[in-house]
Amino acid sequence: MDELIYTLKQQIIEALNLEDMKPEDIDENASLFGEGLGLDSIDALELIVLMEKNYGIKLQDPSQGKEIFKSVAVMADYIQKNRTK
Amino acid sequence: MEPILITGMGVVSAIGLGKAQTLEALLNNRSGVGPLYYLETEHKEFPVGEVKLTNAEMCSKLGLPENALAVRTSLMGMLALGEALEEAALTPDMLSKVGFISGTTVGGMDKSEQYYLDYLEGDVHKEYIAAHDCGSCSERIADHFGKFAFVTTLSTACSSAANAIILGANMIRCGEADIVVVGGSECITKFHLNGFNSLMILDTKPCRPFDATRNGLNLGEGAAYLVLESAESARKRGVKAQALLSGYGNACDAFHQTASSPDGEGAYLAMKEALELAQMQPSEIDYINAHGTGTPNNDVSESQAMRRLFSEQVPPVSSTKPFTGHTTSASGSIEAVFCILALQNGFLPVNLNWSQAMDDGIIPVSQPTKKTLKHVLCNAFGFGGNDSSLLLSSAKVPELVEGPTHSDGASTDSATCYILSAKQISIQQPLNEDWMDSPVVYDQPYIRSIDPSFKDYVSPIEARRMGKILKRAMATSKEALKAAGLESVEAIITGTGFGCVENTELFLDALTKEGEQLLKPTYFMQSTHNTISSLVAIQTKNHGYNVTYAHKGISFESALQDAWLQFRLGKIGSALVGGHDEMTETFFHILKKGGVLGNDDEICGETAVSVVLSRKLESQVIEPVEMPSQNQSALRQAQGPQALCKLIGFKMLHRPTTNELKETVTNLLQESGKSVSDIDFILTGISGNHKNDKAYLEETKLLFGDKPLLKYKHLFGESFTVSGIGFYVAAQCLAHHRVPEALFVNSSENKAVQPHCILIYNRSDGENVALTLLED
Repeated sequence: MDELIYTLKQQIIEALNLEDMKPEDIDENASLFGEGLGLDSIDALELIVLMEKNYGIKLQDPSQGKEIFKSVAVMADYIQKNRTK
Repeated sequence: MEPILITGMGVVSAIGLGKAQTLEALLNNRSGVGPLYYLETEHKEFPVGEVKLTNAEMCSKLGLPENALAVRTSLMGMLALGEALEEAALTPDMLSKVGFISGTTVGGMDKSEQYYLDYLEGDVHKEYIAAHDCGSCSERIADHFGKFAFVTTLSTACSSAANAIILGANMIRCGEADIVVVGGSECITKFHLNGFNSLMILDTKPCRPFDATRNGLNLGEGAAYLVLESAESARKRGVKAQALLSGYGNACDAFHQTASSPDGEGAYLAMKEALELAQMQPSEIDYINAHGTGTPNNDVSESQAMRRLFSEQVPPVSSTKPFTGHTTSASGSIEAVFCILALQNGFLPVNLNWSQAMDDGIIPVSQPTKKTLKHVLCNAFGFGGNDSSLLLSSAKVPELVEGPTHSDGASTDSATCYILSAKQISIQQPLNEDWMDSPVVYDQPYIRSIDPSFKDYVSPIEARRMGKILKRAMATSKEALKAAGLESVEAIITGTGFGCVENTELFLDALTKEGEQLLKPTYFMQSTHNTISSLVAIQTKNHGYNVTYAHKGISFESALQDAWLQFRLGKIGSALVGGHDEMTETFFHILKKGGVLGNDDEICGETAVSVVLSRKLESQVIEPVEMPSQNQSALRQAQGPQALCKLIGFKMLHRPTTNELKETVTNLLQESGKSVSDIDFILTGISGNHKNDKAYLEETKLLFGDKPLLKYKHLFGESFTVSGIGFYVAAQCLAHHRVPEALFVNSSENKAVQPHCILIYNRSDGENVALTLLED
């Protein structure tokens, strides 16, 4: 799980083009949207692309992201349970 | 305002070619949305509103050879423009007094996405490279009919055509033209079908605006143009008004790049302004043609805006997008034509596919309804919150057509405005004026700009989806505002020839090489030309007027003209005008192959320039806090506010003859109270392009005799908006009362002459000429 969380952080940094950020800078339990990292709806779409590209998980409805993208830890948990690759 | 007459209109969309078919479809609830047929794409799951003609069939209707070098947006535009000109009884010989303003975002992308891999390697299809940009697309539509007096292109995403109508109206009100043909054209491309798909806002079923079950939009395509005319001109020509434009509004939501604010602030402000300009009460509006895309977000936001303006008395509303799909940049003029057909024929277009009310949403017209209509609103909103609303009135309203026939009187206002500040990032030192003493001279064909540290202007989290063009725009805008001593301005107007090239290229590259899946929404959302202007508005929380021009080498001047017209109309007191273009290695390679830039000895650069203009000097409050010492701030206060120089005259022409050039120069000088002898220097766009340079020398000799010539592009590099740098250079020369030696075309000139008046002469390959007169 820790490995997945670390990889996921790297993938998020790359997908969202978070310049000057390292995996260590992201708290896996902190909120990704709003108060935490301050991401928005477009970032959520990027995370949907990221999940499909890297883990074969296809979300049909962007509103599902609200729960799944709560934090890196929640996202990693969802990926572990649903990944097809 | 005095209503402006609409003396002709033409339309093509999924529901038909021409007004007759369109009216028949609207009256009989016949939608043109259906399975995808003409566009080649993997995404067959999305219904679309395609124009039911192949390009070859359109060519045949237009009398063009089947293999004519034309993009689909241009072909549809020609079909609609032909109908509009015919109804207004405008023949080709009359067009030299008529303006043409078109809106598009897609431009020639249909061919670029088809031939991109050929553009990268090989030699085939390169003739389409020059047809890629929005401006070329408009030029080709215009050229099919003759020589127009001026041509320019609005590019504010899905409100482009509505903003073209607003510019045309402003030109007529200022007395700059009697007749202007305005509207927009846009074909469906794989590029934006995939882009909207990456944003997950396309519905796989027919769209259902304002319905509780709505789940996105259907894309559409088409074109429409209106002939706007002053009452006096229409009377002289003996043509009738089909309808009237009695008001309009433009505001920026300044909320998010792709989402509308929950309270619909931009939409509310745009509709409110349209009513105010028409001096009407909300109760006088009989119908609203909503933007109503069918996305969950738009329809909530627009409902809220309508509620705020009309409270419990919201007039009948419908979205006609279930008929045509969302025709993006063309929707503003296509739906304006629908409104005019409704005014003329007394009916309310139905909001098709609606059955279930959304929470707290408006209830749209769901049944065919006969109704006499006097005044209607037509909304068009774009990415970045570029929101516009048009107020159209029936030509049968007697009190309107019998009103005074002269223009607003705005043209009698002095045309002078002040240039408070100008900041640039280029291949010279960024954000300072060091180049005046020690310019860097380059000889490579393409040079990337020297960038400052952007950390002072954008935070890392904001920077995550900013290409270099956006970072530069933020830096120059913020520095220009600071230097002007202003926290905000009343208008943000940007010119860009190609828009955000870096992100467009990334999206196109992935689309053509990796296919139509898993494309990044970030690249797409930054690919529209209006990203720059709207992002500046979002970052500076500016709800004022906001538009973007994309018309080749006069993109910057088009933006400048817009601000200048609105100063004269008393609409705004201050404006931030920008010129922005970026370049990548790949894009430079493509443009050079297509002969667009980088010909002969021309060096090609990137442009980022922002200037703050103000109608008056006394309205400015210069904050002394930025000055390094108290003495200096006291000095600055004692001197009062400073401007770099004044803009005292401006003219734009399309493919002018020698006589037209002479006449225009005479008029320009006369209107600004100057003579040729008052001009100290002519700042030319001599760039190393041999043919164009020769024309500069010949034309300036003919028009101004032996007046000393200056050049600047050899220091800053050619780009579509580098004339904005020319504006900056001239302003700095006037402010510093000297001309750096490196600018002289002829080294034997007297370099000690202090400049008091400089004419900027931009001939943009002879297609478009812009004359800008600055005085100290």
